[in-house]
Amino acid sequence: MVLNIIFSGIGGQGIVVASDIFCEAALLDGWDVAKAEVHGMAQRGGSIVAHVRVGEKVQSPLIETGKADVILGFEVLEAARVLPMLKKDGTVIVNTKYIQPSTSAAASANLTVEKILGIIRARTEKVYEVDGVGIATKLGNILAVNTVLLGSISAIPENLVTPESLEKAISGRLKQKYVELNLKAFKMGSKQVDLG
Amino acid sequence: MNAKIAVDKPNSFLLLNGDEAVARGAVEAGVNVATAYPGTPSTEILETIAEAAKTFGIYAEWSINEIVAMEVAAGASMAGVRSIVSMKHVGLNVAADAAMTLAYTGVKGGMVIAVCDDPAMHSSQNEQDTRYFSLHSDIPLLDAGNPQEAMDMTREAFKISERLQLPVIVRLTTRVAHGKGRVRIKNIADSCRDAEFDKDASRWVMVPSNAIKRHAVLKEKLKKAKQLVNQSEFNVVEDNGSDIGIVGSGIGYYYARSVLDETKFSWLKLGFVYPFPKEVFEKFASKVKKIIVVEELKPYIESNIKFLHPDIMGKASTKLSDVGEFTPDVVRDAFVDLGYCKKTELHAELDLPSRPPMLCPGCPHRAFYYALNTVNQFIDCNPKKCNGCVVCEYVCSMEKEATFNPVKSRIRAVRLDTISNMALVCRVCEDAPCVSACPKDALRQSSKGRTIVVDEEKCNGCGWCIEACEYGAITLHPETLKALVCDTCDGDPVCIQWCPESALSLKGSSEDKIVTGDIGCYTLGFMAPVNTVQSCLCMGAGISQAAGMIHAGVKDKVFAVIGDSTFFHGGMPGLLNIAYNKSNVCVVILDNSTVAMTGHQPTPGSGKNALGEQTKIIELADVARSMGIEKVEIVDPYDVDVTREVIKEIMDYRGPSVIISRRPCPLLVKKGPRRQVLEQCNACGVCVEQFGCPAISLTSERAEIDPTLCYGCGVCEKICPFDAIRSM
Repeated sequence: MVLNIIFSGIGGQGIVVASDIFCEAALLDGWDVAKAEVHGMAQRGGSIVAHVRVGEKVQSPLIETGKADVILGFEVLEAARVLPMLKKDGTVIVNTKYIQPSTSAAASANLTVEKILGIIRARTEKVYEVDGVGIATKLGNILAVNTVLLGSISAIPENLVTPESLEKAISGRLKQKYVELNLKAFKMGSKQVDLG
Repeated sequence: MNAKIAVDKPNSFLLLNGDEAVARGAVEAGVNVATAYPGTPSTEILETIAEAAKTFGIYAEWSINEIVAMEVAAGASMAGVRSIVSMKHVGLNVAADAAMTLAYTGVKGGMVIAVCDDPAMHSSQNEQDTRYFSLHSDIPLLDAGNPQEAMDMTREAFKISERLQLPVIVRLTTRVAHGKGRVRIKNIADSCRDAEFDKDASRWVMVPSNAIKRHAVLKEKLKKAKQLVNQSEFNVVEDNGSDIGIVGSGIGYYYARSVLDETKFSWLKLGFVYPFPKEVFEKFASKVKKIIVVEELKPYIESNIKFLHPDIMGKASTKLSDVGEFTPDVVRDAFVDLGYCKKTELHAELDLPSRPPMLCPGCPHRAFYYALNTVNQFIDCNPKKCNGCVVCEYVCSMEKEATFNPVKSRIRAVRLDTISNMALVCRVCEDAPCVSACPKDALRQSSKGRTIVVDEEKCNGCGWCIEACEYGAITLHPETLKALVCDTCDGDPVCIQWCPESALSLKGSSEDKIVTGDIGCYTLGFMAPVNTVQSCLCMGAGISQAAGMIHAGVKDKVFAVIGDSTFFHGGMPGLLNIAYNKSNVCVVILDNSTVAMTGHQPTPGSGKNALGEQTKIIELADVARSMGIEKVEIVDPYDVDVTREVIKEIMDYRGPSVIISRRPCPLLVKKGPRRQVLEQCNACGVCVEQFGCPAISLTSERAEIDPTLCYGCGVCEKICPFDAIRSM
């Protein structure tokens, strides 16, 4: 059994760090892990996807199309973009924020958060919509959105990685002064799923 | 610095990507000297070693390019210590001159050349298969398929190198280099070696009489290498008693193991692939009836085995193509085609707007490109918005002639009503035909912006200029009979301010210049809406391509844009060449004081070295002047107006020149005050459709700035024609 997760968002949102933290936590729990990401070009603003695979034995890091158990979307359009990766009845956790690409095609498409969420809901029933920006803003740091989403993924039934290890990995990766706030964000994120 | 790989717990696990694993392998092997030039996906090798350098007494440097890096590492090895040099595949082309002959001299201390290929070109300009460089140079090669192999192979490569007295290549591909995995580490060897150079001219001086002997020595070493490959722990057979054998190397092999039922096939994983492990293969081949080769890019294994077994399937007979990278999807598709696994049920593709990579918000390159694009501006009319109301004609006549009289306007609205409406105005042509048509020499073009200046004393109202103008942009004053031409109100046209439909805007003229590009973030300036960069070949090529066009006789002004690090890497010979050959090229060095694209490594101009220590700042302007460039200008691209003036001046300059566009990468400095859009915004689109900042989006009513994306550079505020953008 291998758990396949797609982290999807926009360059600059912290996809690489969040997926690193998840892998570190999986390692602490004794799992084999493999992860694929691409660095370079478009430091900010382009689509970014990280593939994370956790299990007893993982042969290679890339997830096959239609075989992802979970999509963790940091932005709605990027979550929708990777929907073909999702297996039948897979789970989507999505930060309910739409950032319009600055292309004329995007401007004329007239997309909204609701429209894109509609596309996601049409693909699977298991959708957790998380107001990551709202929660992070309430906590006083918009950059904690990542940790909110990690909290949410920690609470879904498919997840193999313990919240304790995730908290430990978060504490290990961040600067001391941000740890407390992020652990709060993590708890808030996990509640979003419990409530949903 | 937090040295991730400096863990002294043998047999424990670390989460490492392939690059970090190579770094750990080198440290475990007791490497003494590490060099590199940054290049995706190889950058993190040297970066990771540098983090641990002080802990382990390693000398690590960012060299100015790959051949220098190769030579420094070779020198260290000649002095008897272990060295590693890392680069991306195209970097090996730069270093090839040194590497080819290094195979002849051989090495003394173990020397590893870590090369990262980039199948599918995630961040490269071509797909090369470095296994063929080994075939070309006779340098042994190990091909890693995951981070664990990358670490183990690197450690082992130092031993192989010392045994054979040859450099050894460890090859990674992007998915290995930037794929993370669980890596079991080993203990770190003590690296105390005294450096000593054995002065043996017959070995190190490659004049023909010595080199011919060393070529024969190289062939002898290869015989020994052939024994090593056939005993190597990296060439692994898994005999499951199947009739079908799968042979592969690199990550493609592991994709095959992921998508197939592993027990139904026999497997041969090749890791030490040059020289080719023929005996290992023959033993494996004797037990299977059919062989399928799974290898990314070129058919290297396939070409080595094609006469060794009667039934081999590879590039031509499967869907495992030699273009692009393998993915589990590609490999599954190929094996579904052969009937060895099941097709995955797929959802329909979604049609969503793409989010391509682009220059970041606040990027100084975008500001420079905007200034370059908007040199020689003219008033452009969007016929979709223009309703032919002629307000522009009234305000123009008021501004210029102090009367509301459309006949005295320098802009003319043309009403075709249901078909189209638009306003006609001077386009500031290069070598304007109206000027040469004037029999009285009454017209000339200003050097500032090329607008047409009419000498009213000379103009006799003959109207030849009107006939010469393709755009119908010249009229005669009804009373004085002197020619009337738009002068863009000195860059701030009143017609644009008053157009009720926002149909008018200032537009640059892209037809009058050629802009060659180079390798770096700024290459993204080729994309819409910036559309500035017109070429990208290899590191440093832009300057010399520009020179070639000039000497071929192109009429347009040629600019060559190049980043500061790329300039130090490969641009300096090109600059010297245009100074020497008097080429009329303007080289624009986009100086953001960092190698931004690969993750902000220091450059010779940044005053920091790989270890984070202070070092001499190499001033680009001094370099340019010392190479014989007489015209050198430094501008701040955020100051668009001044930048544009400097570019205008250079447009008329004849001879080699340099503009240094200097502004640090915004990702490295504190953000400025964020900007917001005010009420008076009328969605004219300059900030989105011409400037193209990704933090700004446009609706039909107005522009909006996303506060989470805005870097506060303030350039949008400066270029907004309606003063509709302000600090928050």
